[in-house]
Amino acid sequence: MALLELQGVSRHFGGVRAIDGLDLEVREGEILGLIGPNGSGKSTAVNVITGLYPPSAGRIAFDGRDITAAATHRRLSEGIARTFQNIRLFGGLTVWQNLWVAQNSARDRAARGFLSRWMGGQSGAREGIGKLLAFAGLAGREDELASNLAFGEQRRLEFARALAAKPKLLLLDEPAAGMNAGEIADLDERIRAVRERGVTVLLIEHHMELVMAVTDRVAVLNFGQKIAEGTPAQIQAHSAVRKAYLGGDH
Amino acid sequence: MLADLVQNTLDGLAAGSAYALLAVGFTLIFGVLRRVNLCYGPAIMLGCYAATFVHLSFGAGLLVLALVCVLASVLAGGYVERLCFAPHRKGSGIAAMVASFALWMQLEEVAILALPKHLYPFPALYDGKPIDLAGFTIRVEALVMLGAASVVCAALWWVLYRTRFGIAARAVIDSPLAAELSGISVPRVSMGVFALASAIGGLAGFLVSASFEQVTPMLGMWSTFKGLLAMMLGGLGSLPGAVAGALVLGLVEAHSQWFLGPQLRDLLAFLMLFMLLAIGPRWMTTR
Repeated sequence: MALLELQGVSRHFGGVRAIDGLDLEVREGEILGLIGPNGSGKSTAVNVITGLYPPSAGRIAFDGRDITAAATHRRLSEGIARTFQNIRLFGGLTVWQNLWVAQNSARDRAARGFLSRWMGGQSGAREGIGKLLAFAGLAGREDELASNLAFGEQRRLEFARALAAKPKLLLLDEPAAGMNAGEIADLDERIRAVRERGVTVLLIEHHMELVMAVTDRVAVLNFGQKIAEGTPAQIQAHSAVRKAYLGGDH
Repeated sequence: MLADLVQNTLDGLAAGSAYALLAVGFTLIFGVLRRVNLCYGPAIMLGCYAATFVHLSFGAGLLVLALVCVLASVLAGGYVERLCFAPHRKGSGIAAMVASFALWMQLEEVAILALPKHLYPFPALYDGKPIDLAGFTIRVEALVMLGAASVVCAALWWVLYRTRFGIAARAVIDSPLAAELSGISVPRVSMGVFALASAIGGLAGFLVSASFEQVTPMLGMWSTFKGLLAMMLGGLGSLPGAVAGALVLGLVEAHSQWFLGPQLRDLLAFLMLFMLLAIGPRWMTTR
């Protein structure tokens, strides 16, 4: 069953068609890789899915509901969370506060009454944050300012912050950028662990080894359109993909 | 001479604590939303007119007037936010600032045209004698303002560092984009910040009106100027800086009024701001 469905979604910037009539389906429980050369529209697709840009045309459905026009923070409480290619933490807040302030799933929001939402009410949130800290390997660092963390730790905190909203769908925007081999192996495990908990993952990534190892299916974008879709093995053998990546006739 | 210096310093700190309250509200809006709200003062002025109206019509006491002042300022502040800042949330900060200037003119004209008189009396905060301390006089109103400024700063610190709303507001300062994508409603934070800032401004307006014992349409411009000046002196967007800037402004005004006369007083304050902006250290323009 499709958790996220894009139908004929386009986003134009002036005359540039960043994505052009994109159909994409993310099935419940899978890890879908989204790859493509630089400028192929991957980031625009993520931004349209999360609501940063309204699409110029087309329709987006999530969990059986049309979310084409929903506000960004609403989509998060519906269950779409993301990380950023360039880390965007709340540097002036502590590690713990970064996670606390992001606990905005529809369920958490409902659990917080009007008063407790504005005046604190931290006790119920504590347990979930403890689990997230352990998951991100940041236990014991909760009172550190996020801006004081090392690069790898910041990436893990951002990952955990996205999970704080208890998403159904997690969008990872080039999570391996700037990581060494050991950190990528950790990331691989972490992505699988997230899926074990029932979270569907859309992985946008340049690092082919990671994509081929961890995903169930891969979709390939070029010039804002989907040029191929299939299992990692099918994609590796696909001629159009090789052409898009390597150029010329290979 | 020394006696003058000491007395001027006391007077300066007294004026400065009123400026501090104005500057803290101003800075809260600038710090969180990166927007300059020129209509901050005129919204406070409307709050004070509402209070004096309630006083003249119903003879309400000071506590009620303080509440009316705060509530009416919050309503007026919310009106400003809806009209000037909500439409430009993702757009240009200059557009929002110009819009707030237009609304300033609107509110000031409303006050001038719609009210039968311009100058209205405001009940005195305290009508006893000023305190005499070894030959120096301290107005009781000044002590009240200093106390109010300290309490408001402590309460604001608590809100910003201990409550979910405050932490969400600080998340918006760090990255509005990530805040939105983490499910924080930026419009709601913006509205909350405006309400909080306007409430502080309303309290400042109440204390100022009650110690001047009058309200005029000039209160709007006065509040915006003093708040803006103190905020800029304090380094744009830093709350402790705004308080320090307000006290410095009060001191400079008190001393220059005494030694140079009232005409040069405002000139000197603006000259000081100009010097700091032109040749001041880098921290002037960062948070």
